[in-house]
Amino acid sequence: MKVTFPHMGNAWIVIQALFEALDVEVVVPPPSGKGTLNLGTKLAPESACLPLKINLGNYIEAAAKGADTIVITGGSGPCRFGFYGESERQILADAGYDFEVVILEPPGGSLWGLARRIRYLAGSRNSWARIVRAVRFAYEKSVVLDQVEDLIHQARPRFSDAAGAEKLYAIARQHLIESASYESLHRVPVRLAQNIRDSQGDANGSGGKEPLRIGIVGEIYTILEPFASLDVEQQLGALGAEVDRSIYLSGWVGQHIFRGLAQGYRPLRVYSRLAKPYLEHMVGGHGLETVGAAVSFARRGFDGILQLLPLGCMPEIVAAGILPRIQADFSIPIMTLTLDEHTGRAGLQTRLEAFVDLLERRKSGRLKRGSVLSVAGK
Amino acid sequence: MRIGFPRAVHYYDYFPFWAGFFRSLNLELVTSPLTNRSIMESGLKKASDETCLPIKILAGHIQALKGVDALFLPRMVSTEEQTYLCPKLLGLPESILAAVPQGLPVLTVNFNRRLGNRRLLAELERFGASLGKKRAEVRQAFGQGGEWQERFERSRLQGLSFTQSMAEFDPVLRSSRRKAEAGPQNQFPARVRGPKPSAGEVPGDRVDGELTDREGSGREVDDREVIGREGSGPDVMSREAAGRTPGCSPEEKKEPPLKIALIGHSYLTQETYANLNLLGRLQSQARVRLVEEVETSRIAQGLQGQRKDLFWSHARKILGAGSFFSRGDEVDGIIYLSCFGCGTDSITQDLLARVARKEHKPYMVLTLDEHSGEAGLVTRLEAFLDMTERRVRRESDISAHG
Repeated sequence: MKVTFPHMGNAWIVIQALFEALDVEVVVPPPSGKGTLNLGTKLAPESACLPLKINLGNYIEAAAKGADTIVITGGSGPCRFGFYGESERQILADAGYDFEVVILEPPGGSLWGLARRIRYLAGSRNSWARIVRAVRFAYEKSVVLDQVEDLIHQARPRFSDAAGAEKLYAIARQHLIESASYESLHRVPVRLAQNIRDSQGDANGSGGKEPLRIGIVGEIYTILEPFASLDVEQQLGALGAEVDRSIYLSGWVGQHIFRGLAQGYRPLRVYSRLAKPYLEHMVGGHGLETVGAAVSFARRGFDGILQLLPLGCMPEIVAAGILPRIQADFSIPIMTLTLDEHTGRAGLQTRLEAFVDLLERRKSGRLKRGSVLSVAGK
Repeated sequence: MRIGFPRAVHYYDYFPFWAGFFRSLNLELVTSPLTNRSIMESGLKKASDETCLPIKILAGHIQALKGVDALFLPRMVSTEEQTYLCPKLLGLPESILAAVPQGLPVLTVNFNRRLGNRRLLAELERFGASLGKKRAEVRQAFGQGGEWQERFERSRLQGLSFTQSMAEFDPVLRSSRRKAEAGPQNQFPARVRGPKPSAGEVPGDRVDGELTDREGSGREVDDREVIGREGSGPDVMSREAAGRTPGCSPEEKKEPPLKIALIGHSYLTQETYANLNLLGRLQSQARVRLVEEVETSRIAQGLQGQRKDLFWSHARKILGAGSFFSRGDEVDGIIYLSCFGCGTDSITQDLLARVARKEHKPYMVLTLDEHSGEAGLVTRLEAFLDMTERRVRRESDISAHG
C-alpha cells in the first residue's frame, strides 16, 4: 500500500510526517502546477470547483510515482468538499486509475467505522497509543507551520528585496520537515525570527514606515494553496503589504478533524459570534468564518480585506453577498477575487496593484476616510 | 397583515407548507406573479453576478411583490433528518438583503429538521411569538402546514401536474387556470419567447372539486404575461411551438410516444419562463416523467451503488430518481436540466452521467442561464429526441452519450 493525498499548501509536510511516524509508505504528489491542473481539468466535471480539479491532478501525478491509496477527509455537507472523496473515486475509476479511496470521517456518524478506516491505513503493527502519539506530534507540527507562515507574512513587506524573505521561508520549511522532536520543532520559529532580524539588520526595507495590513478571508483551499491563488500572499508582500489570514491549517485541523477538541494556532470558534449580526447560520464550508473574520479584521483596524474563492463556491458566494454591508459599516475596502483554471497572473496582479494603491492613498489621507470606493461589487 | 412569498426557489417545493401554516395563523400570504420578462430583468440587476439563476429570479420576484407589509424568506436548512439544502439557501435571508426594497421588513425563521421535530417546533413557536401568536396556535399551524404539504406531495406522486397540484394552495395559479380554461389568452412578449403561443390546459383536468375558498383573499394579478404552462398530454401543445416538423412524430406513425425523464430541481423544471417552456415542449412530443413523481422507496433503490450518501436533499432525490430511471425501462432517455453556477448539480450531474452511461441510457444535460436562447435549446432537444427515438425503433444502436 502506497498512500497519497491531495495537496493544500504546506499541509503535505504535516501529513507526510504523520504517515512516516507510522511507517506507512507515503507518496507526496509533485507540487501542484499548471500540468497538474490540466490533468485534473480533463477529468473533472466542467462546473466542479477548482480544488477538485487540482486534487485529481495530484492523484494522477502521484499514481505515476506508484501511489495506490488516497486519503482525504470528508464531511457531511453542505459544502461540496464533503463529497469530494466519493466523487473523485468514481472519476478516477472510470478513467482507469485503480485507487482505493479512504475517506477519514465517521461514516454515517459511526466512530467505530472511522476507527476501522484508521486501522486499515495504519496496519496492524501500530498500537493505538502509537497512532495517538503520531497524530499529536503531527498536529503540533501544523501549529508550528502556522507560526512560520505568520512570521513570513510579517517579514515580506519589511524586506528590501522580495527574494530574501522567500529564501528564509524555504530554510524554515526545511527545518520543519527535518524536525522529529518537540524540542527541535519549537526551535524552528525561534530560529526563523532570529534570521529575519539578522538579515534585516538596520537597513529597514520599508523605510521605517509601517506597511499596509490586509486581511485575507475566504475559502480555505484558495487561501492555503499558493498555486490556486497565484501566490497572492507573496504578491501582496512584494507590493509592501503585510497579510493575515482568517484560516490557518492547524485551526482547520482542530475544528474539522478533531471536532473542536483542539483550537489550533488561529481558533475558528470566535468567528461565528462576530458574524452573528450579518449571518446567523452556518452555510457550510467557511462562509460563516469569512464573514466573522472580515468583522474581526475590520475591528482590528486593518487597511483592507481580500476575499478569495474558487469560481462557483457556494458558501463563499453567500459571504460575498454579505461583505458589502461590512464594507459600508466599517468603512473598510473589501475586494473579492474569484479564481479558476483560467485566472491569469497579469490580470490578478493588476487588480492587486490597484487595490494596494487604493489602500495606500486612503492611509496617507489623500483619500478621505469614510469614502469607501466600492470594490466588493454589488 | 399581508405577507409576501416570492414565487421562486422554495415556492416550488415548500409553498404548501407555508400556505397552510400562515392560513392557520390567520395571516394572509400572497405570492408574486408568474415570472415574466421584467421580473427576470430586475432580478438580474439586483442579485449578485456570481450567484445562480434561481436566486437571481428570486431577487426579481422580491421586487415584484406589491402591496405587502412584510417579506417572508424562510431559512430552509433541512427538510429531512440526514440532509441539508444547498448552502446558498442556508444563507438566503442575509445574502439576498441587497435586493429587498428599502423599508420592507423581512420575516425569517430557521426550518431545520436535523434538530428533530421538537426543536423545529420550538423555533417556529419563537417565530410565531414575534407575530403575536400563541404557542398552541403555532402548533396547530405546524400541523396544518404539514398536512397541506403532504397533500401536495401526494398529488405530485399520483402524477398530477405541478400546476394542478399547486392550484389548490395558490390563488394566483388557480385564477390563471380559470382564465386558461376560458380560452387561450397567452400574451407572448413578441420576439422574446418563440413564434407561437402554446395552449394552456385543457378543461377536464381541473381539480376544482377539491378547491375551497380558504385562500379566497388572494389578489388577482392582471398585468401578467402567462407563458405556456405544462399541458396534460402529448396532444395539447402545438407541434410548431415545439419546433418539430410534423411527420416524424410518434403519434402520426401510430407508435407509442417516447418516454423521457426530465430531471432537475423543480425550481428549474417548473420555471416555465426561465426554461423556455422546456417541460411544455417535451410534453408535446413525449410522455414526461419528473423527479417529484418518484416514490421514496424507488429513490432509495436508485441510490444503491453509491458508496456515500449525498447530503443535499434535492440532489439526493435527483440522483436517486435519475438512477432509477436509468436502470429500468420506464423511460427511453433522460434530460438533466441544470443552471449555470449550480454547485450541487455540478456533482450530481456527473454522478448521474456515470450511472446512465453504465446502463446505456441516453442522457443529456441542458444548462440554463440568463442568456439561454430558444434556438439553441430547440436544436439540442430535437437532436436528443431524434437520437432516442431512433434507438428505440432499433434503426441502429446509436451511442447513448456524446
